[in-house]
Amino acid sequence: MPIQDADEREAQAPATSTSFQLRGKLFTAVTLLPEGGVPDAAFYAALDEQLQKTPQFFNNAPVILDLQSAPALARTEDLRRVVDLLRERKLSAFGVQNARPAQLAAAQEAGLISVTTGNDTPLRVPRSEKKGAAKPPPPKPGKIITTPVRSGQTIIADQGDLVVLAPVSSGAELVAAGNIHVYGRLRGRAMAGAYGDTRARIFCGKLEAELLAVAGLYRTSDSLEDALLGQGVQAFLDGNKLCVEALG
Amino acid sequence: MTSQLKKEDSVGKVIVITSGKGGVGKTTSSAAIGAGLAKRGLKTVVIDFDVGLRNLDMIMGCERRVVYDFINVIQGEAKLKQALIRDKRVDTLYVLPTSQTRDKDALTQEGVEAVLNELREEFDYIICDSPAGIERGAQLAMYFADEAVVVTNPEVSSVRDSDRVLGLLNSKTKRAAEEGAEPIKAQVLLTRYDKARIEKGEMMTVEDVLEILAVPLLGIVPESPAVLKASNVGVPVVLDEPSAASQAYEDAVSRLIGEVVEMRVDGERKPGLLRRLFGRSA
Repeated sequence: MPIQDADEREAQAPATSTSFQLRGKLFTAVTLLPEGGVPDAAFYAALDEQLQKTPQFFNNAPVILDLQSAPALARTEDLRRVVDLLRERKLSAFGVQNARPAQLAAAQEAGLISVTTGNDTPLRVPRSEKKGAAKPPPPKPGKIITTPVRSGQTIIADQGDLVVLAPVSSGAELVAAGNIHVYGRLRGRAMAGAYGDTRARIFCGKLEAELLAVAGLYRTSDSLEDALLGQGVQAFLDGNKLCVEALG
Repeated sequence: MTSQLKKEDSVGKVIVITSGKGGVGKTTSSAAIGAGLAKRGLKTVVIDFDVGLRNLDMIMGCERRVVYDFINVIQGEAKLKQALIRDKRVDTLYVLPTSQTRDKDALTQEGVEAVLNELREEFDYIICDSPAGIERGAQLAMYFADEAVVVTNPEVSSVRDSDRVLGLLNSKTKRAAEEGAEPIKAQVLLTRYDKARIEKGEMMTVEDVLEILAVPLLGIVPESPAVLKASNVGVPVVLDEPSAASQAYEDAVSRLIGEVVEMRVDGERKPGLLRRLFGRSA
């Protein structure tokens, strides 16, 4: 139980004590978002209806009150009443989140703790609303090259990844905003994350590159280990270091 | 005769002989391929695009018959017929020499196009001998081409330059610019091939070269004293006495016109063996 956890933490006993053990615990809580002012009879009626649909599911469920949409719920006695009425319905409210400072004080007074961590699971949007809602932006188009990239040629993928299914000659240049994949032999230069994306990577089937760069950090063939030459490799940033590793 | 046999609707094919790098054998190959095609009865003209560094006429042995040149024709100072020089050995072979006194700026895209269109009506094959480099002269030599022969030596700088030229063939030519046009058919001609030096690791192998260039191989011409000698006396290699090099060019010409000929890699060895068998008669 989280409340016990909190109590134990307050005790500040050394973790090595023999009288008890301290353990972290992960659990799922239900977030309840009252809207408007102090919950009224209609609110509890609607809640009861909802609970009856899945009576077992909410049995003694730990509940967090999200006060985001209920700014008027700011008095200690109102919060106490909410907690009591929830407990009657076998819902164990133990904390609040998104509370304004005044609400937070009142909630602590009512024995509710402030919860700031954790992620909400996405709320299922009713279908009718979904249709009108803006669709997520389509993935950024990359570029796919199927013919050899010759010496002196520069291929730029302004957005997304650059995929080359042919050899890239010495003296050729590949530039991509995202990742670069070369399935042929890479003899030229490859610059991934050209606009500063430090998560970008370079993948190639056979490494003989003159230069590999990710987000501006580069290595020339001179500084690549001989053992990697001719191998399938990936290049990526680890902090301020450009790592080149064999694949597979 | 051949022009009469030609179907009326067919037009000549423009083939550019190019390389990027100088000294790899473009002009020698242009002369040899041109002469090889002409020997088969195909009406062929070889055009020198190396304005200011006129060499083709010497290698073809017609330098003393040059009156008008390619630039004169482009600038309207002479008719095409006046500038074309007919070869004395093969009557289907013509040379269009260039100017030694002008420079590449004398070439205009419209002028080149007009001359090539006129030649297409008359000839089966138009061989454009490109200058080295990738500037105006080389670009105009390749711009209107239907096919390309990229002359390469088996060494890294030549291969890299050839790769660059292959890139230009796919981007800076009429066929590349026109939507829906078939791209230029490019093939690599490996010249100055020296088996002994390749075995010693001093030169690149055929496989290495083809792996980088990723285009079909038209032929392998061995390093041969016959080539130098033919150049100096003004006889295209294939019109001179048989040698490994002339055989290699003949094979390349056969492949160019679509025949299937097995690739000979060690051409020089066979005549070497023959020479040994027949003693010092040469």
